[in-house]
Amino acid sequence: MTTNLIHWLLYGGAMGLIVIGIVGVVTLTNIFRIILALVIAEAGANLLLVIAGYRFDAIAPILTGQALSAMPTTQIMVDPVPQAMVLTSIVIGVGVQALALALVLKVYKNYQTLDLREIHHRMLADIDHSSGVISLLSEEQPKGERPLPEPETKNVLNSGGEK
Amino acid sequence: MNNIAFNVALPLLTAFLLPIISSGSKSATRFVGPFVLLAMLWFALAYFNVLQHPVAIALGGFLPPLGISFHLDNLSLLMAALIPLMMLLLWPYNNREGFREESLLLLLAGAASGLALSGDLFNIYVFYELLSVASFGLAAANRTAAAFAATFRYVIISGLGTVLALTGIALIYTQTGTLNLAHIGLLASQLNNPVGLSAFALIVIGIGVKAEIFPVNGWVPEVYSTASPRISALLAGLISKLAVLVIIRLLVVAYQGSQALTLLLVLGMLGIIWGELSAWHSKDLKRMFSFSSIGQLGMVLVAFSIPGDAGMAAGIAMMLHHLVVKPGMFLLTENWNGPIKKLKGAATSSPLAAFLFMLFALSMIGVPPLPGFWAKLLLVTGLVEANAPLYIIALVVLLTATVIEAHYLMSTALKIFSRGKKKHFKKLLQTPFNLTIATIFGAVLLAALFTLTPLGNKLNQIATESSDRSLYIKTTLSLKLPPQVKQQVSKVQ
Amino acid sequence: MRNISALVFASGLAFLLLVITWQFILGGAPMLIGEAILQQAAEELGAANLVTSVVLGYRGIDTLGEIAILFTASTATSLVLSSIAEKTSAKSKPGLRDDGTILASSASLFFPLLMTIGLYIILHGHLTPGGGFQGGVILAAAFFLPLLAVPGRGVNHSGLALVEGFAGASFIVIGIIALFQGKAFLQPLFGHGEMGSLLSAGSLPLLYIAVGLKVGAELSGLLANLAEPSGNGDETLSATESASTEQTSMQAEKTKS
Repeated sequence: MTTNLIHWLLYGGAMGLIVIGIVGVVTLTNIFRIILALVIAEAGANLLLVIAGYRFDAIAPILTGQALSAMPTTQIMVDPVPQAMVLTSIVIGVGVQALALALVLKVYKNYQTLDLREIHHRMLADIDHSSGVISLLSEEQPKGERPLPEPETKNVLNSGGEK
Repeated sequence: MNNIAFNVALPLLTAFLLPIISSGSKSATRFVGPFVLLAMLWFALAYFNVLQHPVAIALGGFLPPLGISFHLDNLSLLMAALIPLMMLLLWPYNNREGFREESLLLLLAGAASGLALSGDLFNIYVFYELLSVASFGLAAANRTAAAFAATFRYVIISGLGTVLALTGIALIYTQTGTLNLAHIGLLASQLNNPVGLSAFALIVIGIGVKAEIFPVNGWVPEVYSTASPRISALLAGLISKLAVLVIIRLLVVAYQGSQALTLLLVLGMLGIIWGELSAWHSKDLKRMFSFSSIGQLGMVLVAFSIPGDAGMAAGIAMMLHHLVVKPGMFLLTENWNGPIKKLKGAATSSPLAAFLFMLFALSMIGVPPLPGFWAKLLLVTGLVEANAPLYIIALVVLLTATVIEAHYLMSTALKIFSRGKKKHFKKLLQTPFNLTIATIFGAVLLAALFTLTPLGNKLNQIATESSDRSLYIKTTLSLKLPPQVKQQVSKVQ
Repeated sequence: MRNISALVFASGLAFLLLVITWQFILGGAPMLIGEAILQQAAEELGAANLVTSVVLGYRGIDTLGEIAILFTASTATSLVLSSIAEKTSAKSKPGLRDDGTILASSASLFFPLLMTIGLYIILHGHLTPGGGFQGGVILAAAFFLPLLAVPGRGVNHSGLALVEGFAGASFIVIGIIALFQGKAFLQPLFGHGEMGSLLSAGSLPLLYIAVGLKVGAELSGLLANLAEPSGNGDETLSATESASTEQTSMQAEKTKS
């Protein structure tokens, strides 16, 4: 009975993490927090995988001591396959998160905001502008993509601050 | 016989070494990519020629349910051959800006090949993620502010999809205790419960991010209108098809029940309605094509939701048709990216491009002699023969969508062929490179028109083979089974 | 409107997941392949750590995909950030303070320790818990710690690229060697050796060394790429620039409403 309860709690916890993460991704507007919510959801999915291979009173699937010579072992071991999968999926998550962070850096540099709705509006305006659908900027301003912030000004500010 | 693994190993190897190669010689960087793609094409075609019946290959020498296996049949080899072919056509030959984009494209090619061939659920997930990350990099490669913002949204939606797909895979693992698709197929009865079905729904929505499936396709118009047309062509033409292929494999092997089909049908219909209406509403070519791509993939999904060989044949036909037409269309948007109103006189400044646009548009609408008509005909007859209320609704949706499609494509064509001012001529001129590639796509479309009978026969053969569930299972599990699994297998049977 | 549909989507998913939890068959999953692997992995691969035999043996191509994903992420990150990275590749930037002797010297004190632990974990991946990924992360930490302590310190990107490239390539080359010996791609080579000793499990330790070096180099490059622009101070848009963006956003809002 208790094992069942614990099992249910574990599954419920993993699912809860996923739900928290997804709701966070959908409702939050700060893009950095959205990444954090995604991390939580990923943690939930990974937890679910680990639990799928868990068995009570079992040891880690590593042969030590006597078990090395006497194969197959009599000890119960947990399932090694989900552990390998979780290893893979954690590394995948790290890669995606790093890329997302790099994009946040660039988005912030270009739009000076972390608010998703504002970024979305600006982006749509930029797309409209570059395809010329609604002329948002007046005729005097240069045509084409909005230039990236110029590095020269930044250096001037930096060195000015140092003095 | 094991050299199909090269289709995954070779591009990855080259991509790993590309930074080192490029620090040695810049010109070698430009040649090595196309050369590797040619080699991949050769490997895939070599298999295609000798393949009599489906074959499974155990990677690492470990037999399928324990190790990972590649499943080779006509469909997966067709995709494996199309990947390097499309890549060669859309390769950035004139890119002088370092090696990173080439590297990402090679990684994309390797991941796509793995996705097409793999017969293991988690392995599919890994290759799908590799495909995603490579496409993120390519989508942001333009390095404009809007491209970064669009890619960020793409990353987040994909990340959400990843979590859902992983949850689905974990659920399938808790229900069956295995990851090999064929083995899952053998144990399919254990998935015929709410948990199993929701696992399927989660995987469809998760993988569906790349397949532009209805609730998770918000990134499509943004990314396609900020990325360069080559990348849009690649993502819309090739990558979306691979995601669809994964869903189809899972559907055929493990979920033959009606509920999974209904899910696909409903998602497909919503995709058609949303995509076509938005395309009708949009004011520039790039976004019009992005939305119409969503609509077309909805049609593909509807086609695959028809049970039996008929649905499979219609789906594959729609898929291949879209794979040829959409990249050609996206290549034309490079210099025609202004509002549709300003396309006046485009036909006089580059008549070939206008002719190609007309060809692609007519084929997409489904005007009789063109290949698009035959694909849509297969779909319509399939829907009529399925003879269930939901399929009739889908038929109505499909026909309405066709009318809408015809309206917005033809009104654009009218603009293109109308007389314009002389001063716009230069702006509307297509670059010779894009025009050449688009012409190749157009030529393929016309060539298909003249080889309809052999193509139809081949299509039917592929459809029968790939909708055969027991053949798939038998192919993979006929390799010598380890005794413990054999025991469990016989217990289940 | 978009928010409402997103909320509906999220709550639908949440409901689905919670219903699944309720429906779960209690008592754990059937271990079909897990059980079989536990039974025969030691015999087939000769690695005492059975997770390692799954990671590098049974699911070796997953691991290849995984290191490829890390490589892709770092390539994509440097593509995204490259306009900055190219400009700040100079070894030390003026205008960054040294954050004190204690931090700097303890970072260099930790460097050899972390390197040793990382390499130990990589080399014993087939015997004890740990392996290429875990060790690789520790290696990356060894390289990243000095970067945190002394933010201006540059990272040798070309050296990292060299390690990355060759480590990744050697993983695939080991796989291809097996192919040329008439075996399957990524099939373990050499004999098993005596189980439990350092030189055992065939080519698995070699693969893990390749993975460890690759993960270490990849993560250090990734972190250094992310750390470099932030060490650069806040960027401010020029006056005209911000004016035009404001205008854009205002007009965007106008068109929205």
